[in-house]
Amino acid sequence: MKLLFVVSLILCVPLLALGQTARKAFAYDYTVDDLPNGLRLITIPTDYPNLVALYIVVQTGSRNEIEKGKSGYAHLFEHLMFRGSEHYTGQQRDQILKKAGADANAYTDDDRTVYHEVFSKDDLDRILELEADRFQSLKYDSAGYKTETRAVLGEFNKNSSDPEEKALEVLRATAYKQHTYAHTTMGFIEDIEDMPNQFDYSWEFYRRYYRPEYTTIVVVGDVNHEAVLSSVKKHFGRWQRGNYAPDIPSEPEQNEPREAHVDWPSDTLPVLYVAFRGPAYSDEEKDPPALDLLSAIAFGENSDLYQKLVLEEQKLDSLSPIYQDHRDPELFVVDAKLKDVKDLDYVKQQILDTYKRYTKELVPQAKLDSTRSRMRYSFALSMNSSEAIAGVLASYIGLRRTPDTINKLYSVYDSITPEDIRKAAAKYFVDKHRTIVTLTTKKEVAK
Amino acid sequence: MKKHIATVALTLLVVGLTVSNAVAQKSRRPTRNAPQNRMNTANSKSVLLPNRSPLVSFRILFMTGSANDPKGKEGLASLTAALLAEGGTRTKTYAQITDAMYPMATSFSWQVDKEMTVFSGTTHVDNLEKYYSLIREILLDPGFRDDDFQRLKEDAINYLKTSLRGGNDEELGKEVLYTMIYPATHPYGHQNMGTVGALQALTLKDVRDFYQANYSRANLVIGLAGGYPADFAKRVEADFGKLPAGSLNRDAAPLSQPRLAPGTQIEIVQRETRSTALSLGFPIDVTRAQKDWPALAVAASYFGQHRSSNSYLYQRLREARGLNYGDYAYIEYFPRGMFQFQPDANLGRKLQIFQIWIRPVEPQNGYFVLRAALYEYDKLVREGMSPEAFESTREFLSKYVNVLTATQDDQLGYSLDSRYYGIKDFPTYMREQLAKLTLADVNRAIKQYLKSDAMRIAIVTKDANGLRDAILNNKPSPITYNAPKPKEITDEDKVIENYKIVVKPADVTVVSADKVFQ
Repeated sequence: MKLLFVVSLILCVPLLALGQTARKAFAYDYTVDDLPNGLRLITIPTDYPNLVALYIVVQTGSRNEIEKGKSGYAHLFEHLMFRGSEHYTGQQRDQILKKAGADANAYTDDDRTVYHEVFSKDDLDRILELEADRFQSLKYDSAGYKTETRAVLGEFNKNSSDPEEKALEVLRATAYKQHTYAHTTMGFIEDIEDMPNQFDYSWEFYRRYYRPEYTTIVVVGDVNHEAVLSSVKKHFGRWQRGNYAPDIPSEPEQNEPREAHVDWPSDTLPVLYVAFRGPAYSDEEKDPPALDLLSAIAFGENSDLYQKLVLEEQKLDSLSPIYQDHRDPELFVVDAKLKDVKDLDYVKQQILDTYKRYTKELVPQAKLDSTRSRMRYSFALSMNSSEAIAGVLASYIGLRRTPDTINKLYSVYDSITPEDIRKAAAKYFVDKHRTIVTLTTKKEVAK
Repeated sequence: MKKHIATVALTLLVVGLTVSNAVAQKSRRPTRNAPQNRMNTANSKSVLLPNRSPLVSFRILFMTGSANDPKGKEGLASLTAALLAEGGTRTKTYAQITDAMYPMATSFSWQVDKEMTVFSGTTHVDNLEKYYSLIREILLDPGFRDDDFQRLKEDAINYLKTSLRGGNDEELGKEVLYTMIYPATHPYGHQNMGTVGALQALTLKDVRDFYQANYSRANLVIGLAGGYPADFAKRVEADFGKLPAGSLNRDAAPLSQPRLAPGTQIEIVQRETRSTALSLGFPIDVTRAQKDWPALAVAASYFGQHRSSNSYLYQRLREARGLNYGDYAYIEYFPRGMFQFQPDANLGRKLQIFQIWIRPVEPQNGYFVLRAALYEYDKLVREGMSPEAFESTREFLSKYVNVLTATQDDQLGYSLDSRYYGIKDFPTYMREQLAKLTLADVNRAIKQYLKSDAMRIAIVTKDANGLRDAILNNKPSPITYNAPKPKEITDEDKVIENYKIVVKPADVTVVSADKVFQ
């Protein structure tokens, strides 16, 4: 059994202040190459021997699913991309990856879809060729398409047994009325059920977004930049630029606090989400990094609230903040899992009071410094292999298409003061921008 | 502590240096003092992998583990390690330690297996002194506080009772399989965390005594990797040289595989669960120390590479039939496989088993899948591998070894294990051995080691008695699908649904989940 320390916050160790500002958060050398067709290549040679991590980031996620009845297609495409292409069947593809000793997979998020492999350096050209083929010449027939839509429904069903997944789905649908963040990456269930009938639309989606101008290839590892560039030009150079730009609806002003409740059909611990509208990712504005720091200070495992509700009073099974970088304005969420439904109002009030507290009170400088230090070291420690570096980078590429955004972001973190945090809290934690979702066991089922 | 010779393992170092030099000219990262170029020899007490990384990884290994639990005190090795890593020291409370770790974003983990106990963590080199002073205190100046002891003992009991019995059917099945193979009298005969009864009776004095007897210089191997300063390793060795001399546990009691009664035995664990989890296996006389290990590694990878869609069992059961999420095979202990793609290091054992892991299936398909697993296993033993399968698997493994050792912490872990097994550094060992291997070697090894007349099967399911009844009466187990299948599959299904499992009624037992690891 392996257990990690649970860490708790105290005094700051201000020794880092000097060293930190001097060193870049993302310290690796990289090269950016833009092909005439709009494809971008980012190459990062590292000291880690033999291996190459290849991450292909498509700036298309559930955010791009703008048409009514068509949610979930970015994720469906992540599946379809494994069904074979013009020159390679799915099985041939598997065999090539096996011979390369590769670990291969993909994931979809709100703002991006990422295809990734890690393999031996000698196979880079071969695997780029394989990838270029599916990105330019994907092939699937109607029967294969239908089979895959069933697999996606199966995945939805598997996830739907998780009450927190359901609560999150309801939270998004309640908080957003126009913007595509109203649905999760999986999509609305009625849209998933309709997928088998949308074979033609699926190709439309591919033609729109699987284009070089949406795509960034990230190559990290035991590589030579010239060789990588030459392979990428060879295999991706003829890829045709597209001409589609989605019109993502912006979310109108929220003028009233919203609440929603879910009756869960079986026994569950009560789930509570308390959310406020937050800002979009930025590597220039102070508010997003200020709120990010506050999320850890106010609601993280070292926060006063966590110490009180989880450790001392033991009212909660878990408490955590969720505030992730997004291209468009995203929710700042506190996620609490209660041990007993009778404490629901009490816990809700405690969380709301904590939100309010930081709109008035300054965070102690020491707490801010140690949290900033933890954030920076946590980031450095996470990049312990070529694959880890590429993985970290992929999320920033999904936002800004360049590693440079990381260093810009961290220099904003370094500039944040307790007053910046208080101001951001006061600006965003206002009642009319609030959404609360509760989920409890249905009364008939509750014991 | 005796001074060890700075000998260099050539292969690793040369590769490391070439790469470093190539990149050095371009790197904007600050260059550090030239690290000492040392690697372990088998006799050295340290495994050192210096490099230019801004991170420093520690693996402090003690050659002790649950096989050293005294009789009646099962779980003592784990509880001792937990109390060190998750308890206070003589001068600091646990809360003070975690507070000190917070701004460094560091942690210190423990892992106890049969013969090894390892403490590991990685820090940024900026914080090396601070971090090292904490972990040195944790291991060398423990507090053995009663409040920590009570909390961690309760955690251990809850792990067995709640996490394993009640929350993870797959791990439960795998661990039950081990207890079927190793009787309670065997040093491997209990779960690493112990038994509920023994844990309840443990005292703080037991922990102190275990620490005194096992945390000795004789059992210690220091592992360090990363961009630490030139004199750092010597300091660590000098500090840990203050431990008592002790005697080496691994030489104390020879371990041997149990002699299992011939015939198949099945244990069905009954619990309220939606699905059916299966684990099958038997002991094998091969570890990385034996020359046939690479041959068996090829066979196991071909048959059921962990979490890979490319392996035989996965193709037959998941891809062709959609029966579950995955199906794998192992020749080494691999705990927590549902949470991770690669195995943890420092689970070195003198005794290993061959294991087939069938991930949860719908209960109505449980009997069919059990038959399918045995059918495919019999086929593997009977037919061996084809030349094409051999070549592609060999190529896969000789490259996949790079993925296994991608981080410096992985490299350190594997190096410590290589020291334990007395082989070269793992990637070199694998590449050299695989290059020499022939298809005939692999097929001979399959016949020699994977043929067993003492298969043990652990099943976790709801209707245990119904399944037992079906197995004993060899009832057909036809299968239906929600989509048409090719004739090749439906023909094979007809063979599988009547595939005979020869087992005596006394050898199919049913046990309630709340009774295991008691």
